[in-house]
Amino acid sequence: TVHSPTCPHLCFLLVPALEPQFLHLQTPDPGDPVWNVRWALCTRRSSGAPAPGSGATIFALSSGQGRCGIAVIRTSGPSSGHALRILTAARDLPPARHASLRLLSDPRSGEPLDRALVLWFPGPRSFTGEDCVEFHVHGGPAVVSGVLQALGSVPGLRPAEAGEFTRRAFANGKLNLTEVEGLADLIHAETEAQRRQALRQLDGELGHLCCGWAETLTKALAHVEAYIDFGEDDNLEEGVLEQADVEVRALEVALGAHLQDARRGQRLRSGAHVVVTGPPNAGKSSLRKPVSIVSPEPGTTRDVLETPVDLAGFPVLLSDTAGLREGVGPVEQEGVRRARDRLEQADLILAMLDASDLASPSSCNFLATVVASVGAQSPSDSSQRLLLVLNKSDLLSRKGPGPRPDLPPHLLLSCLTGEGLDGLLEALRKELAAVCGDPSTGSPLLTRARHQHHLQGCLDALSHYKQSKDLALAAEALRVARGHLTQLTGGGGTEEILDIIFRDFCVGK
Amino acid sequence: MFYFRGCGRWVAASFTKQQFPLARLSSDSAAPRTPHFDVIVIGGGHAGTEAATAAARCGSRTLLLTHRVDTIGQMSCNPSFGGIGKGHLMREVDALDGLCSRICDQSGVHYKVLNRRKGPAVWGLRAQIDRKLYKQNMQKEILNTPLLTVQEGAVEDLILTEPEPEHTGKCRVSGVVLVDGSTVYAESVILTTGTFLRGMIVIGLEMHPAGRLGDHPSIGLAQTLEKLGFVVGRLKTGTPPRIAKDSINFSILNKQTPDNPSVPFSFTNETVWIKPEDQLPCYLTHTNPRVDEIVLKNLHLNSHVKETTRGPRYCPSIESKVLRFPNRLHQVWLEPEGMDSDLIYPQGLSVTLPAELQEKMITCIRGLEKAKVIQPDRVLLLLPRMECNGAILAHHNLSLPGYGVQYDYLDPRQITPSLETHLVQRLFFAGQINGTTGYEEAAAQGVIAGINASLRVSRKPPFVVSRTEGYIGVLIDDLTTLGTSEPYRMFTSRVEFRLSLRPDNADIRLTLRGYKDAGCVSQQRYERACWMKSSLEEGISVLKFIEFSSSKWKNLIPEVSISTSRSLPVRALDVLKYEEVDMDSLAKAVPEPLKKYTKCRELAERLKIEATYESVLFHQLQEIKGVQQDEALQLPKDIDYLTIRDVSLSHEVREKLHFSRPQTIGAASRIPGVTPAAIINLLRFVKTTQQRQAAMNESPKTDQCLRDADRLQERQL
Repeated sequence: TVHSPTCPHLCFLLVPALEPQFLHLQTPDPGDPVWNVRWALCTRRSSGAPAPGSGATIFALSSGQGRCGIAVIRTSGPSSGHALRILTAARDLPPARHASLRLLSDPRSGEPLDRALVLWFPGPRSFTGEDCVEFHVHGGPAVVSGVLQALGSVPGLRPAEAGEFTRRAFANGKLNLTEVEGLADLIHAETEAQRRQALRQLDGELGHLCCGWAETLTKALAHVEAYIDFGEDDNLEEGVLEQADVEVRALEVALGAHLQDARRGQRLRSGAHVVVTGPPNAGKSSLRKPVSIVSPEPGTTRDVLETPVDLAGFPVLLSDTAGLREGVGPVEQEGVRRARDRLEQADLILAMLDASDLASPSSCNFLATVVASVGAQSPSDSSQRLLLVLNKSDLLSRKGPGPRPDLPPHLLLSCLTGEGLDGLLEALRKELAAVCGDPSTGSPLLTRARHQHHLQGCLDALSHYKQSKDLALAAEALRVARGHLTQLTGGGGTEEILDIIFRDFCVGK
Repeated sequence: MFYFRGCGRWVAASFTKQQFPLARLSSDSAAPRTPHFDVIVIGGGHAGTEAATAAARCGSRTLLLTHRVDTIGQMSCNPSFGGIGKGHLMREVDALDGLCSRICDQSGVHYKVLNRRKGPAVWGLRAQIDRKLYKQNMQKEILNTPLLTVQEGAVEDLILTEPEPEHTGKCRVSGVVLVDGSTVYAESVILTTGTFLRGMIVIGLEMHPAGRLGDHPSIGLAQTLEKLGFVVGRLKTGTPPRIAKDSINFSILNKQTPDNPSVPFSFTNETVWIKPEDQLPCYLTHTNPRVDEIVLKNLHLNSHVKETTRGPRYCPSIESKVLRFPNRLHQVWLEPEGMDSDLIYPQGLSVTLPAELQEKMITCIRGLEKAKVIQPDRVLLLLPRMECNGAILAHHNLSLPGYGVQYDYLDPRQITPSLETHLVQRLFFAGQINGTTGYEEAAAQGVIAGINASLRVSRKPPFVVSRTEGYIGVLIDDLTTLGTSEPYRMFTSRVEFRLSLRPDNADIRLTLRGYKDAGCVSQQRYERACWMKSSLEEGISVLKFIEFSSSKWKNLIPEVSISTSRSLPVRALDVLKYEEVDMDSLAKAVPEPLKKYTKCRELAERLKIEATYESVLFHQLQEIKGVQQDEALQLPKDIDYLTIRDVSLSHEVREKLHFSRPQTIGAASRIPGVTPAAIINLLRFVKTTQQRQAAMNESPKTDQCLRDADRLQERQL
């Protein structure tokens, strides 16, 4: 079998036992949430974290997220062969470009992980042009996360940045121009999807924690930098360094505790976000009953009611939002604000209107704002999807004309009689297949692996901070630590540090 | 490169006194007797002197135009050079054979390395400088530089001509018109006019235009630049009043003594001109609540502070310190202005209050109770150069109170990393005109502008220092890609590769390149840097090679705090990382082959520094490679972002790229607001252009090969 180095999903064709649902993965770099193109240059802003593009070996889950028969995990870089030998506990590499069955085990515990097909592609004849390995493992989340963690424990390996495989392939001349042409669109799409995902994650507990930690670290770094750049000439207050030390020590404790408590990571829920919205009294809440066919576990996130459900095999987080209208009391306004936030983060919006009340101001307003704005996005860029549902169809006169001729495509439904429900479920299934097929929308395992990698990296760097007597080295350790956190939360450049310096200290001669 | 021993000429008078109408766009053929140079430098400040001498070192016949020859080398503000970050810049200027470091080694009165305890990567070489000596030594150097002519005169306008078609820009500069109407032609022109463009001096509510009364030469030039379409901004800065030395009670103040031994700025000097025991001390005092009170009570008398013009956050006036950080004591350093100067410079007391209130405020401060502020002489405000204070005033036995300066600067996003303007071909800007502050920042830009103006004349590729190569690179990249809204000053925290770009290794980073790519470095300096580089490489590999068990190391060097529980052999390089170990103790333990590396003190010290950062430098090198990859992807210079249709870009991104005109993909990606998708589209464009060019340059036969290769690649895909 000769591996075709162009495109990762072609390799799926080599594996006869492959489940068909893989074939919808049509991105060159599946598994990577987003390619932040500021790749190596982000070293300037978030200086410290390993620069993609350097000689490190990267790994990622390359197949989509979700239930599947086979998951493909890929590595690229000089340590690929080493990693393969370590995971297969073998002295020799399997023959190049041949599928071989191997037992994978965790290098730390020796515990068997899975019996898997492994493929060894020595560079330059590989997708990226570097040494690559593919692990075709069974698709269960436990197996996948086990193998990812095992890879993460091999020295020299780190989780891939978004789009990094593609970037390496591009840098090594493995992609031709036509393919690169598609790349910009893809990256734009990924960025958009990730922005939503990041918003969603940052809403969570971990996001809040990360932002807080990054802030602490930025401040500590700014104070150390102020001490370096201004400490001798200008009078900084006493104890600038000591204060930074105390903060770093506290941060270390918090990070350590978090890394040990794996349950928190699991709370990061997976699934497509479906938000039911519409003007008040459109029947949103009555929809929840017929749709939540499976395992209703109501949990409230503030005023937004969230229910994880399983729709046709797709993990879905169903949110019922407060009715969208303006000019009500402060409490309800807060609910509306949160509903709008949630709407922004949704993958799929179920927009619900009262079919018998389309002429009312609230309905018109809703159509003009929410429905029109989502509809205005071109379907190609992974924008939000929207299903327009007209409820209470039972109230329409049987023989009368349709609701309104100028309405966008919509479905008719009567929650009361159940008429149109099957059609809605079918439409939902279609939409979800499209939404979940996009690997960037939700890959919590990978996300968790990235989180863990960066948090561990941050912790390691902080230990270097303590050991360094040379302040330039200590500051570098803080920069590296902060780089890891900013890769999780985004943002944070030199200017930010300078701003803190000038805010906190009266420097200047 | 050896120069003919000879003197630069000093042409005191203008060339012609003829008056003819100013021609904005003159024809290319100059009048036969009109003087013609390769490079003209306008301004004799810190940027101008470095630019003029750098261009001359590169072999260009250069003219330095200044208002007054006797103000060349004037230190217009603080009587000191260097500091944290700034010291790094000076080492890099020196590595390119610039002047200021060598002149400082001949003119200092108090040498001190800051940040001694914080690690060699952030050491800040600094010195108090004797203004008079500095100026004397600088003028001697300038007037003795081969190929360099100095002329007094004020520039009124630029001579512009048709652009060269192979370069971007709407026109080309081909000379200057002086205020007396005479013209001088040149291939390149460098503007280093400092705070001179529409400069205003502010004391209290009084404002004085800083040009000559009646005809303001700076206005004409400023107007020309504005008409050409340059975006102009406004900045402010300030300087403290000077205090009579004999009116200060030093006995009750903290005394700071200089280093012993003194560390010279220049790689070519082993020591400075003056012994540590002959150097002058500095003194420290503090403000107090009474100072705050006077400032706050009189804010209405202080237009400089009220204005919205941006001043530096890091060199704030006492007024802004009091406003932003109330109820604190602020530091005031009392610095000598020179060996035989009777003036003291109160660092930290930059102030624009009316003169009489300045003295009232100062006498509240401990040690300054009887201080005499040198009274202003209004006539001096009308001097043509802004910087006429301090030394020149001391020279004339006169002085000024503290004052503020407001001036025009040109948005530095309008210049390339070689400091040439996008709009006008062969016109270069350096120094405060680009929105920077500080002598060192000005000098650094001056050297780069001088080199590039000269290279442009000889049609050689520009000399650009990247962010990965030096503080100069960070300075220029920050300016040209991000612009600045306050006077830009160098800090070490701006530099992402701080551990690699150290003061000790500036020669390795820049001298070799300066010699090969720019031709601005003398043979002697080049050979010294080569020797140092190979000695360091050899020394490091020897130190890596020597391996003993940790217990043996403990026996050899008892003072080392090495843990003997480690079973693996330890390299000598790792032992050298310990704070308590230096090359001397290591060479004592292992005389062969290490003894020879201790003979040169600088080499031994630099080996120790290399060892300190060895492990981190390995990672940093990888990062640097990544950045350099992106810097290697050049964007076409003539690309018109507003109209180009081959690249799909949003309107916003187009405008940003159009304004900053980044030269590489790397620079483009640092511009705020340029999206990842836009970068990919640019990347694709670059690759296509490269391929097309390669195809055009190759012979048909190779063309066929390329196509075959493409086909082969396609098959593989």
